[in-house]
Amino acid sequence: MSQWVTKGLATGVKATHYPRAAETAPGTSPGMPAATSLPAARAQLVAARCPTAALRQVPSGVEVDRRRCVHCFRCVRETESPVDWDAGCQWAELLAGSERRGRSLGRAFSRSLHILVVDAGDCGACLSEVRQLNNPYYNMHRLGFFLTPTPRHADVLLVVGALTEHMRLPLRKAYEAMPAPKRVVAVGSCALSAAIFSPSFICAGGVGKLLPVDVEVPGNPPPPLAILHGLLLVAGRKPPSGTDAVRAGANQDRLR
Amino acid sequence: MTAMGRLLVLILVLCGAGAALSLFAGRRRRPAIVGWLGSAAALALLWFSGSGLFAGAPFHATLWSIPSLATVTLSLDRLSALFLFVSGLVLLPGSIFAAGSLGRYVGRYSLRAFSVPYFALFATLVLIPLSADAASFLMLWELMSVLTYLLVSYEDETDGQRRSAYLMLAVGEAGTVLIALGFIVLANSGPLEFVAMKAAGATLGAQGRWAVFLLAFLGFGVKAGLVPVNFWLPRAYTAAPAAFVPVLAGATLNLGLYGIVRVAGELLPASMVGPGLVALGVGSLTALLGILYATTQSDLKMLLAHSSIENAGIITAGFGAGLVFVASGHGSLGSIALAAALYQMVNHSVYKALLFFTVGAVDSSVRTRNIDRLGGLIKVMPFTALFFLVGALSIAALPPFAGFVSEWLTLQTLLLSAELGSTGVKIVFALCGAALALTAGLAVTCFVKAFAMGFLGMARSEEARHARPARIWAIVPMAGLALLCLALGLTPTYVIPVLGRAAAPITRVGAAQALVPPFFAANPHHGELPAAFVAEFHALGAEVGERLMPGRGLVVLHRGGKANPVVFAMSTAYMAAVLALMLLVAYVVFRLVIARRRAVERRAVWAGAIPRLLPEMTYTGTGFSNPVRVVFEALFRPTIVEDTRETVGLHFRAAIRRIRGENHLLDRFVLDPIADSALWVSNGFGRLHHGVLNAYVLYGLVALIVALLVGRFS
Ligand code: SF4
Repeated sequence: MSQWVTKGLATGVKATHYPRAAETAPGTSPGMPAATSLPAARAQLVAARCPTAALRQVPSGVEVDRRRCVHCFRCVRETESPVDWDAGCQWAELLAGSERRGRSLGRAFSRSLHILVVDAGDCGACLSEVRQLNNPYYNMHRLGFFLTPTPRHADVLLVVGALTEHMRLPLRKAYEAMPAPKRVVAVGSCALSAAIFSPSFICAGGVGKLLPVDVEVPGNPPPPLAILHGLLLVAGRKPPSGTDAVRAGANQDRLR
Repeated sequence: MTAMGRLLVLILVLCGAGAALSLFAGRRRRPAIVGWLGSAAALALLWFSGSGLFAGAPFHATLWSIPSLATVTLSLDRLSALFLFVSGLVLLPGSIFAAGSLGRYVGRYSLRAFSVPYFALFATLVLIPLSADAASFLMLWELMSVLTYLLVSYEDETDGQRRSAYLMLAVGEAGTVLIALGFIVLANSGPLEFVAMKAAGATLGAQGRWAVFLLAFLGFGVKAGLVPVNFWLPRAYTAAPAAFVPVLAGATLNLGLYGIVRVAGELLPASMVGPGLVALGVGSLTALLGILYATTQSDLKMLLAHSSIENAGIITAGFGAGLVFVASGHGSLGSIALAAALYQMVNHSVYKALLFFTVGAVDSSVRTRNIDRLGGLIKVMPFTALFFLVGALSIAALPPFAGFVSEWLTLQTLLLSAELGSTGVKIVFALCGAALALTAGLAVTCFVKAFAMGFLGMARSEEARHARPARIWAIVPMAGLALLCLALGLTPTYVIPVLGRAAAPITRVGAAQALVPPFFAANPHHGELPAAFVAEFHALGAEVGERLMPGRGLVVLHRGGKANPVVFAMSTAYMAAVLALMLLVAYVVFRLVIARRRAVERRAVWAGAIPRLLPEMTYTGTGFSNPVRVVFEALFRPTIVEDTRETVGLHFRAAIRRIRGENHLLDRFVLDPIADSALWVSNGFGRLHHGVLNAYVLYGLVALIVALLVGRFS
């Protein structure tokens, strides 16, 4: 019974090395379609297959709006001209925009970031990925990131879900209850663009319609590493380049 | 006639005039009479007892004396002066408050029925501590019982109120009988003056002393609210009109304690440890039970009533500890314990009267006292809330308010049992100390609940939302008592010597010597202390304030032997000054340094982002005290009736109704058995009343035969 110390020591650190080193374990990211050069006719066909209009035809081929992609794989499966596939996971983006927006929180927060998670109409997928952040493998405590149940202690509002009508008021209240400086991280394609739902009678289209979003984490759902990337960005800790190497090919068999 | 005599006559004349005037004056004038004459009489009482208490002015009068039958004497010593002074402190604001709150009865009740007994009771309260012989004492005691009965049953709207008053009268009468028996045993067929009884007490054997002690303790314990004879108290306090409860808690309760102190402490020589231990144990038990029931109450008045029981318990425990110390030859430790007990008594009268005033004000403005229907009153009744807060802080024994010093001293006293020889006694002290410490902790819970749930948060009813602020007749008495709470908390070094002198007949040592070392250089006793000791304390700042005030110092300190020169030490005055300074510094730093560089934004309270926070969603008093209820479930033994309605097929419950009833521990173990056996006996008699005529004839015949046989053969 009391061997857990020795056993623990013998087991060693099993958590991911990200962001210090690249994540190489297989299956940690589903990947994301990448911009591909295709002949115009092909490009038009591929773009038409995309259900959320994430693919756009450009003179060189197709471009991907990551914010809208829902990983349906229609653009790679059962098609003559599959798009290129990016197997990484550092998809999060710090938005540049107005003065406040898109800036990270600054040094004081870089190793102590308190996060309030709000489910604004999520199907459970993104929330499930967010939950993984606390498990022993992703273990975000090692980075100084903590979940908090009250906005009074929160620095970051992490929103998942398409922002339904009923969640507008609670979300605004939660944001207003947070002390400044505060940042908003939108996680998942629903939170970013309400990809397949909006605009409709039940949601207006993304968290950005209500709150100033600072970091966007695309993906449907984004894998934990992508969310971690977003949090690192908002904390002002840009992971060094070259760490975004999820082992290529690990997922390639799934694509066909 | 001496000046003191003239003052006493003035008090009695004012009371008489008040009673007479309210008999004849117009209906609308009567409240004003209670206010003016009552407070004038209270001022005269303060003057009278103050000169006895502070200056030691003597007063002794033999009213009449029939040789070999009865002598009626009145006499004032410092002990009775202390109790009179406290009565005055409560009756002065009490009369003003009564005058104001009687207004709501105009047209519904006869105001005469209040003011005439009120003045009569006033005079009785003045005379009881003065009477120095058993006959007049008992007569006055009886009068007090009847008059309090009349006043408690004044509002007789519901059957419960009348019943509560009856119960009080009945238990009070039983107590009087016990007291009378105690006096008879003590007098030992000698004269009934206290002086003579004291002499008789010295010659009494151990059994006689035990008998007198137990009779007096139980008999006076009725009025003092001690276990097991206090079941009447919460009911009577709740039934009594708001204008009268403060007097009940601040004056008549004290007289019960006065009786115990007078008889068990002074008339009986303190030579046995046993009685002291009994008082200590009963006091601790009373305190613990009182606060447990107080914490779980949701009626504010009932809560305060139970807390009065708690306080009476603490006082009695302190007194018991004092008796033990005195009996085992530690006069100076005894004086500390008695000073603590009397201090607690003074404090309790002041803050309990204050709290009852605030609850009276709340009741008259919101028309409910149920904590679960109040809430948010601080917005509509800011002054009342402030004064309640002062009272709550005092009663929860938080410095720098009244209540802290006395409870702290009481607990310290119990720790002093290390000085006592017997291990058994030490164990009792330790157990009682633990009980009292638990009591102190629960008292904080109880009054956090009372204040936070009653006055903070959201209003839980329409009435509470639209309550009108308290009127001036309520504000003035409350403000006066709140200031007094602060003063009593800040100046223990001035209060303790006075209390010590009052208890001197029992301990034969003043408490000042043991507790208030003369740190101020201007004091003539300054030289008493070893110079090195004084220098050490001056280095800590014990001479601060020397220029500002006379007296011995501002530090309460008990000196021990060589091994531990300071047993305990504390100064609420310095503590309060430091506290104020720290608050000020924090405020200044915040305002000038922090807030200047930051924008302050005010947003609504965070309530989990629900659309609208409803009062029903907030924490209630019942919810707050539920942990206590659950932990002590075995003691409360609630009766729970659960009623469920099920849908067809008995698969799902459609509704559950749960009724929780509570029967007080003492009701279960004392009142109910007595009531049941009385009912059983009277039922037996009842059956005899309605029997068959032939059977009666048979009884007669049998009795006749038995009588004849007995007569024949004896
Ligand atoms: S995976 Fe589906 S949603 Fe994403 S770009 Fe391809 S077709 Fe569009």
